[in-house]
Amino acid sequence: MLNALGKILALFVALALLTISAGTARAANGPIVIGASISNTGAFAVDAAYALQGMQLAVADANAHGGWLGRQVELKYYDDKSDPGTAVLLYTKLITDDKVDLVVGPYSSAISQAIAPLINKYQVATIEPESSLPDIYVAGNEWNFQGIAASTTYLDDLLPIAKEHGARTVAVLALKSAFALACYSARINQAKSLGMRVVYETTYTLPQPDFSSVALAVKNANPDVVLGCTYYPDAVGITQALHGIGFSPKFLAETIAPAEAQFTKTLGPLANRVVSNTSWWPSLKTAGNTEFIASYRAKFHDNPDYHAAANYSAIQVLGAAVKATKSLDQAKIRDWLLHNRVETVQGAFKVDQNGAETAFKQYLFQIQNGASKLIWPKKGAEAQLVFPYTGS
Amino acid sequence: MLALQLIVDGILLGGMYILIAQSLNLVFGVMGVVNLAHGTFITMAGLFTFWFATHTHLNPLLAIPLVFGGMLVIGAIVERLLLEPLAKTGRRAELLSLIVTFGLSYVLIQVTLFVWGSQFVSLPDFQSTWTIGGLTFSEARIVAGAFAAAISGGLYVWLNHTASGKALLATSQSQIGAATCGIDVRSMRLIAFAVGSALAATAGALLILVLPLAAQSADTLTILAFVIVAVGGLGDYKGAAVAALLLGLIQSAAGYYLGGDIESIVPYVLLILVMLVRPQGFGRVIGAR
Repeated sequence: MLNALGKILALFVALALLTISAGTARAANGPIVIGASISNTGAFAVDAAYALQGMQLAVADANAHGGWLGRQVELKYYDDKSDPGTAVLLYTKLITDDKVDLVVGPYSSAISQAIAPLINKYQVATIEPESSLPDIYVAGNEWNFQGIAASTTYLDDLLPIAKEHGARTVAVLALKSAFALACYSARINQAKSLGMRVVYETTYTLPQPDFSSVALAVKNANPDVVLGCTYYPDAVGITQALHGIGFSPKFLAETIAPAEAQFTKTLGPLANRVVSNTSWWPSLKTAGNTEFIASYRAKFHDNPDYHAAANYSAIQVLGAAVKATKSLDQAKIRDWLLHNRVETVQGAFKVDQNGAETAFKQYLFQIQNGASKLIWPKKGAEAQLVFPYTGS
Repeated sequence: MLALQLIVDGILLGGMYILIAQSLNLVFGVMGVVNLAHGTFITMAGLFTFWFATHTHLNPLLAIPLVFGGMLVIGAIVERLLLEPLAKTGRRAELLSLIVTFGLSYVLIQVTLFVWGSQFVSLPDFQSTWTIGGLTFSEARIVAGAFAAAISGGLYVWLNHTASGKALLATSQSQIGAATCGIDVRSMRLIAFAVGSALAATAGALLILVLPLAAQSADTLTILAFVIVAVGGLGDYKGAAVAALLLGLIQSAAGYYLGGDIESIVPYVLLILVMLVRPQGFGRVIGAR
């Protein structure tokens, strides 16, 4: 009887070992899976669509060049609905249920901030290509790596240029989100340090059905510069409301939205002479940029924007780390990321000891007669800044 | 002059709110149904109008007859297939209608996402501004406000001065009483939901001129419409119009003096205050009906 039991037990053990070894063999030969959540729907969907396409293209390009460590690369993503709470659940699922090999951060600083503790808990070296918020990259968050220029640098070149052209007063408006508030505080402080007067400042939440009373307050303050730390719906709403109330400041600058073709289509002439910032531009001579643009156009029949470039770059950096360490070991990847510089389509990726980006640059562009033109820095500029903003 | 401008802006914003809320009120008044798919009807019509105007390059207002007619038919089908069977469930009908319209809303949002994607869009039409006597008027808001006034006026005339409207009004006051007088209550419910859906669609076609819309705007519009209707008094048409204008005026002043954050919470603060002081809404207090 004992002998029979022993045989059954041995059979179970053998079956279990076979199952485990078969699973391991599958994992070792199967694709390297990169997990991410992306805002397919919700307030960030317009910009996040480009982010997703950037990742998809990077994965396709990696596979076209033989993959990583001799394995194909696969992207597994879910829709976080632009909601931080949903993203936390999705990243938990990706890491613990789906057991993805690598992780890329979600769209927006707010959602990246929400998942940051999770990334630390599970110790997954994660590049966050849409997280410009500096607050995340501090001691204690050692598994999070910033994959885009800090939000405190958004539109930071504008105020000195505006001042050169005679601007003395500023209104700053911001969505109440992690990214926008960091931008908001930085620009207010910068204006004050430049000796410019902040004549109006306000924050708002989305959805905001109406910006006309805020626009009226801006008009009454009569600033030379209106600077919005915005996403897409609010940038459109503010621009329309300023026009609706009959106010055209000398300079109108907004973050994020003007980079999207939809902004110009929606606003028509109101978009003309709006200034914005970008961490990537088609004419930049960064590594592989020409090929990136060509393959993006071929795959998506559209032009990439800086979100696409940032997410493409994030996967380029992960690929470089995996290839250099010849490993998917998270500690090795993390250590490598901390100490190495990677040339990407977005420029050089390099972080400090807390994972904060230190090498990416910011540029200014302006919508001029329906086309976006790089206006700053002067070297490499495609056009000169045109002002005043006329709303026509 | 500033106060006058704030009042003008508040009235124009209120006009937009009338558009959003009035059709929800009509449906609730007659059927006792809080249509949770209301915002989805508005959004779908808005996105259709965007699609229509960008593909045909015609005036977006020409889409209004199309969305009105289309939603009249769709509303009638929804009422007959999904809501009418609930009328036989007695007291459970109101709860079941919430569940059914919530489910419908979810399905329609997914359909909207599939057809038009999730991008926020708005139309670059009617972007002129007019300055009269130092006051500035946005053309898009004037257009939306004029339609809101016309719809409210039309609704008032229909409900109070036509036989079918009076029958509808009687049904909204008492379905048993209306049936006793020989009114076909079943037909009245069909008419109310179909017309309510068509008016919601008209609101969507006008809203796309004023603010960016996307599939995910639907829930916000439903909530906003419900707040206005609840503040004005459920089923009270004039009360809802007054509530919409009052909300527009308060938000306009709050946005100017207190900033965007406070402006966005005004509807909910107002709802809480009204629910505390007068849960049945204040429409009748001010003699609106």
